[in-house]
Amino acid sequence: MSTRRLLLRRLPQTLLVAVGVGLVAFVITRLLPGDAASTWAGPRASREELALVREQLGLDLPLPEQIVRYLIGLAQGDWGISIHTRQPVVDDVMGRLVASLELVGIAMLVAFFGGIALGMAGARWKGRWPDWITSGLTAILVASPVFWLALLLQLTLATDLDLFPVAGRFDREFRDVVAESSGTGIIMLDALLMLNGPLFVSSATHVVLPALVVAAYPTGLIARLSRASLIETMGEEHVRMARAIGYPERTILWRFALRPSLGPVLAALALVFGYALGNTFLVENIFNWPGLGSYVADSISTLDAPSIAGATVVVAIAYLIANLVVDLIRPIVDPRLR
Amino acid sequence: MASHGRGRRRAGFGAAIAGAALLLTTPMATLGQVEGETFTYGANLAVVTDLDPASSYSNEVIAMHNIYESLTRYDSATGEVLPALASAWSVSDDGLTWTFTLRDGVTFHTGNPMDAEAAKAALERTQALGLGAGYIWGAVESFEAPDPNTLVMNLAYPSPMDLIAAANYAAYVYDVNAAGAGASDEELTAWFAEGNDAGTGPYSISDWQPGSEFELTLDAYEDYWGGWDGDKYTEVVFRVVPEATTALQLVKNGDVSFVDRLTPQLIDSLRSDENVQVVETPSLQNLMMLLNTASGPLADPNVRAAVAKAVDTDGVGVALAGAVAPTKGVIPPGLLGYSDELAGTGLDLEGASALLAESGYGPDGEPLQLTATLAVGDNDQSLVATSLKSNLAGLGIDLDIQATEWQPQWDRATSDNVEERQDVFIMYWWPDYPDPFSWFISMFRSEDAPSFNLSYYADADMDAAIDGIQSLTVTDRDAAEAQYVEMQQQLIDDAVVVAPYVQNYQRALDASVGGYVDDPAYAQVVFVYDLTPMAS
Repeated sequence: MSTRRLLLRRLPQTLLVAVGVGLVAFVITRLLPGDAASTWAGPRASREELALVREQLGLDLPLPEQIVRYLIGLAQGDWGISIHTRQPVVDDVMGRLVASLELVGIAMLVAFFGGIALGMAGARWKGRWPDWITSGLTAILVASPVFWLALLLQLTLATDLDLFPVAGRFDREFRDVVAESSGTGIIMLDALLMLNGPLFVSSATHVVLPALVVAAYPTGLIARLSRASLIETMGEEHVRMARAIGYPERTILWRFALRPSLGPVLAALALVFGYALGNTFLVENIFNWPGLGSYVADSISTLDAPSIAGATVVVAIAYLIANLVVDLIRPIVDPRLR
Repeated sequence: MASHGRGRRRAGFGAAIAGAALLLTTPMATLGQVEGETFTYGANLAVVTDLDPASSYSNEVIAMHNIYESLTRYDSATGEVLPALASAWSVSDDGLTWTFTLRDGVTFHTGNPMDAEAAKAALERTQALGLGAGYIWGAVESFEAPDPNTLVMNLAYPSPMDLIAAANYAAYVYDVNAAGAGASDEELTAWFAEGNDAGTGPYSISDWQPGSEFELTLDAYEDYWGGWDGDKYTEVVFRVVPEATTALQLVKNGDVSFVDRLTPQLIDSLRSDENVQVVETPSLQNLMMLLNTASGPLADPNVRAAVAKAVDTDGVGVALAGAVAPTKGVIPPGLLGYSDELAGTGLDLEGASALLAESGYGPDGEPLQLTATLAVGDNDQSLVATSLKSNLAGLGIDLDIQATEWQPQWDRATSDNVEERQDVFIMYWWPDYPDPFSWFISMFRSEDAPSFNLSYYADADMDAAIDGIQSLTVTDRDAAEAQYVEMQQQLIDDAVVVAPYVQNYQRALDASVGGYVDDPAYAQVVFVYDLTPMAS
């Protein structure tokens, strides 16, 4: 299928799914017991005050009308006002999304290259000691609870050894620079664009620990997948042919086996990307990373329907785009899919 | 750049790269911008939801008291009202006219002078908007400004205006012309919402970035009437750190000066750390276990008294060691009328058993089912309820504990169908200004439709006492104190409520912070101007 046809077919599908997800999230938060108006007005609000707030927030309307209004707003870029921050949800969510993407993106790079390296080592020396070591390591990476790993790294590498900052996204002295920069919002990238070395260093050192924690599970998963996939490919005919011709094992692995094996790994990468984006809230909380996860956690505890729905839509769109990108890349990586 | 003056900041890896990176072209942009010391407040919640001093009723209070000032300020340690923007005040014999003398030479951060007209305009706006805690001005019929230094309040009924003017919320004096003379209420609210302030306090907002970790920064207001002689913090930063273990690491490393809330276990781990000081103070927030006096099994005074006797106040105090301080009455220590001499509280299972037997219940009587509602996710409340459940089980009573969000808990309690209402309602209470009146007027004055009187208590004596106590507080404090003690005893005797403990504030501070006193009347607020940065 040509790239254009793929896009034409997948884009409407993507939008439809995103809207559906937002709709479901919105309706579910509205059906939960509890009252957003009382969160807005405070615990000691009078009944009159509550009624006023309900009217202002449109909570007094029948649910179908609320849904229609919400969907129209969604299309127009008006995602409502957050109950707990009182800022427009679009601004909130987009700002947070970029922070999460920075963290998850770096973690995915670590997971992709680290995982494949481990997988290749396992496949190359299958059944021998490097394989045992990588299997053990991947088991630990997959099985470690995220919060435990986060606390462990924070206590050892940050507090005790003082190698990295305990928490945050950058040092406070860069607050003004960051606030005034009109860049991408991805601070490491902005720092490079502004040629601001100290800011780059500050944000790079801050991202290391949370990124390692977010990368742990995906790294283990990709290592296992790529090992299995590589071993399978190594047994295929074109590889046997290459071996028969007399290529050394190293060349076979890099030139003939790796690219065909990447298909399932890339598909899995898109999956774990969505998983990581939606599940970083523990890591974000522990490292005080101002991302979507911590925002969603705050939104849930305040029954903030517009924020929960908005964040869900954004995660859904990011996930769908990641899948789309992987589908576009796969034929490039694996010639057999063209 | 300000620092804590302690050589324990991160060095290693980051600094090494930073050194290398200095070779790149950009200079450290903001170095040397601020003179003096920075106080960093580690807040476990986002700081700002509402910057309008009239309606602000949320976590931003921790910043507001450093930006704005009120006419008076309460000192919980002595129970005295201290001067703030008012240097002196007096009240007429009937308690209906209060005259405040305002301090000279005070200016708002907008540059305008703070005089009686300005204070009048601010308090009138707060009262008229009636948002948040604005109702505290309810007794005031009119404000008058006979001369620039005199503000008069004419009341509809006697009220302790010196205490009310020291309230935690809605008592701020601000410049109503900040958004331009003649700006409407909405325009002024919008102007505040952009991150502006119009206070008289020692600090002014220099930077507000909603959602950011370093959410709010305040800078010293140069023309502050108190002056800037001596060692003071000249910058206040509010850093949002939701995760308690992270806050712990940050205060240990000297990255934050103060952490408002940690778990008792984490506080214990800090006690031996010489870089951190731990300060513990009983708060004005206490646990209320309201017993349903109107419907269900607890309408029987014997059963109610038995349930009250099954609350193990001391046991709960031990289990929550550090986090709470056991009490007897509903008035917390530090407020008028607090007493530890009240009789008839504490665990008494034999007494409970005897009372139940009188009504045909108890271990040998008819089994009984009761419902307690409380806040979901609150471990302390759930511990208290669980302890009560196990004690009641021995008395032949099955307590069904239902933890929900506030709204469903409250909806059920205020339901028109009395059969639906719970038997025990568990919640925290705290005053909006440092006076015990709030507990009584809200929870123990009879109501036609329940709002916070969730014991559904209706007693003519209590109503009369509550209606008279405000003017008594103004005219004869000693008599008011005795009256409050009596009222608390009546609540115990009638088994209306059990107030097992007040919560303790457990703060962790950098060792270099000097002069910190936790005033529970201003929960979570640090008056940074009063502190002294010390080299350590």
